[in-house]
Amino acid sequence: MPQPCNVVIFGASGDLTFRKLIPALYNLAADGDLPPATNIVGFARREKTDESWRAELKETTAKCSRSGLSQEVWDSVAPRIFYHCSEFGNAAGYVSLAKRLDELDAKTATRGNRLFYLSVSPSDFEGILTNLAAAGLNQSPVGGWTRVIVEKPFGTDLASAHELNEVVARCFREKETYRIDHYLGKETAQNIMVLRFANGIFEPLWNHKYIDHVQITASEPLGVEQRGPYYESSGALRDMVQNHLLQLLCLTAMEPPTDLGADSIRDEKVKVVRSLRQMTPEDVAKNVVRGQYAAGAIAGKEVKAYRDEDRVSPTSQTETYVALKVQVDNWRWADVPFYIRVGKRLAKGGTEIAIQFKQAPSVLFNKPGELLGPNVLVIRIQPDEGISLRMQCKMPGNTIRIEPVKMDFHYGTSFGKASPEAYERLLLDSMSGDATLFARRDEVEGAWKFIDAIEDAWHKSDTPPPVCTYPSGSWGPQEADELLERSGHAWRRM
Amino acid sequence: MALDVAKLGTPVEIGQIGKELKKLWEADGGAATRASMINFAVYCEGADAGERNNEFIVEFTRDHACRALLVIAEPRAPEMKIQAWINAHCHLSRAGAKQICCEQISFMLEGRASKLIPNIVFSNLDSDLPLVLWWQADFPVRIDGQLLDWVDRLVFDSLKWAQPAKQLNRLLDWLEKSQSKLAMCDLNWTRSLHLRQALAQMFDHPKNRPILDDITTVTISHAPDFRSTALLLVGWFAAQLKLELRSYESNAVILATEDDREISFDLVCDGTRSIGCCRIASTHGTVEVARAGESDFFSVQVQLADGHAFHHMLPGGNNRSTSLLKEELALGGRHRVYIKALALAKELL
Repeated sequence: MPQPCNVVIFGASGDLTFRKLIPALYNLAADGDLPPATNIVGFARREKTDESWRAELKETTAKCSRSGLSQEVWDSVAPRIFYHCSEFGNAAGYVSLAKRLDELDAKTATRGNRLFYLSVSPSDFEGILTNLAAAGLNQSPVGGWTRVIVEKPFGTDLASAHELNEVVARCFREKETYRIDHYLGKETAQNIMVLRFANGIFEPLWNHKYIDHVQITASEPLGVEQRGPYYESSGALRDMVQNHLLQLLCLTAMEPPTDLGADSIRDEKVKVVRSLRQMTPEDVAKNVVRGQYAAGAIAGKEVKAYRDEDRVSPTSQTETYVALKVQVDNWRWADVPFYIRVGKRLAKGGTEIAIQFKQAPSVLFNKPGELLGPNVLVIRIQPDEGISLRMQCKMPGNTIRIEPVKMDFHYGTSFGKASPEAYERLLLDSMSGDATLFARRDEVEGAWKFIDAIEDAWHKSDTPPPVCTYPSGSWGPQEADELLERSGHAWRRM
Repeated sequence: MALDVAKLGTPVEIGQIGKELKKLWEADGGAATRASMINFAVYCEGADAGERNNEFIVEFTRDHACRALLVIAEPRAPEMKIQAWINAHCHLSRAGAKQICCEQISFMLEGRASKLIPNIVFSNLDSDLPLVLWWQADFPVRIDGQLLDWVDRLVFDSLKWAQPAKQLNRLLDWLEKSQSKLAMCDLNWTRSLHLRQALAQMFDHPKNRPILDDITTVTISHAPDFRSTALLLVGWFAAQLKLELRSYESNAVILATEDDREISFDLVCDGTRSIGCCRIASTHGTVEVARAGESDFFSVQVQLADGHAFHHMLPGGNNRSTSLLKEELALGGRHRVYIKALALAKELL
């Protein structure tokens, strides 16, 4: 059960706070899930008052909340929203924060419970955490708790992630640390385990005997927008694959956990991360394609090339697209490739996991050279969350003509209730002390180890593989299609 | 003629099509069932064609559950402009009172926007379902390779082209370069489907078979605009009987068998039906398949040299594009014989 607490958001003036965090807390309140005594304290550098921040939040929450904004609900939430102005590096600001939180504890029934949300750049982590510790704010009160939520990017490579983890570990224990990956809060991501382990028909087939390969795609039509400088230092591999897509891969590939405890599940995910075949520079050249969008058209509008975007180098080698062929070296997944692709300025937006089963034997209807399409189970993470199964079917008529058909399940139409936003679930879980949907230190570091080998082949090699270009509005570079063609596969049509 | 855009449904922002479709289906509280077996995309040029195709799609969705994409291009328009509409076509199912609905997304692409078709198609497909693209214009000089890869059946009508050989060569060139595995579906080939079936059926009977082994002349009567249909039919004979081109003058084609025997194919421009009559003559008898007036049936007459005669009535189909497309989609598969027939027909077209 979520317990009342003081939620302190560092980076209170940031985009994430306005678009996601406050609307999520508002919706939890609207649904009656937010413990009524909960207070929200924004911590940021800009000069604001409680009232002015509330007014700003009201405006953006009305725009960004999935349920709109009810004045009645807002009136009940707003008096519990406060703004605390301080530089992140100013120790005195934390002392005054501690005093303010103590006062709030005294006024409301928050029992000294504190949830610190670090919605800031990683370069600010150390200063904030050290100052929190210096002000004694990392100490859990008797009978209560203190937790810290850390937003991505959690490091830029293994070394920096390790360093960050050390910084966090100096101030908070691992069980008090919640590394957020909002993909894990999505309804369908949570449903992967239910689909696999609550149904009798899938798990027996979920292995190398019956599955030909797996495709995990995260595509979006948007470009880098205003995030040019960040993207230049990150790229698609670090921005998306290291965290979100490897998390989805882990949920798809993991063994059944012994129970539903956070560590039991995370233990199984870590085993998958450890089983990822590390790539040599030769493997990277063969199994990874990086691309960058050129000019093209999206939704009927001509759009510019990545190198022409605001604050992006005209000679940039940053990848806006990456496709990988990944092998999971364990018994279950022997010789089953996992193809991962992520890209910006692609034709259509969506995140999906497609399980492609092996072909039926080449007899009867499945003639050699005229193979029917395979069965494909698709788990749609976003948008239009749902599951579909493609199968072959005889068309009505006097002749045998076989065409693919699709059985489709949509969350949106099957259940009257709208799915909560990922941040709602994750905030609620952190208030409940359930870390299942948060990444553990060894998961994060293991993922970085895998990613670093690719980054090194790109950036530290004398003969790095090229950055391929693709027109905006297409499905990525031709080389990515060829990556699959070499194994007789093709990217599925989204 | 200006296009009556009200018939295309609700205007929508192009970037919001997915969301608007979702709203469309949620609006009726789930009373209707959305059905889709294929992605059916139509590319046409001009308002008239747009109007015609819009009406056609309404009719088409009665028999074929699909997501329809209607792309109406005006490439010569001076300004670049792009507009979109969504619509639902609902029909009562045969099984009961449940409404089965298909969705249609229409686009009007003006000026340079006409070149955006790959993105328009890619971003609006129903995932995992086959893509049938009906291209109702000349093929452009260059086409997006990824688009070709995504198309399962490319439908066109070589009859409508002013220079069919040039267009077909362009298509074959694309396919070779892209190594696309799409099935080429020429409605001009489908147009002679019933005729070819009627002719082939006659030789299932062993008594008629000697005629086939000793053909001397084939006479094909075609309406003035259907010469290319007749030439594809000649190509079919060549493909099935392994004939080679010996000589060709405007209305007379001489083909030779593997044992060097010549067969004369005479084209007669006559009548109003696409192929009015096809008569096969040999020393062992004749087979004649002819349309009786405006009938949708073929009258088939087999006259053997020994005096026996047989008469049959067989379905002849019709020349409406809607019917041809339905025939084509009902057939499925790849048209291997068409490819073989094309090898010769291209030289004659």
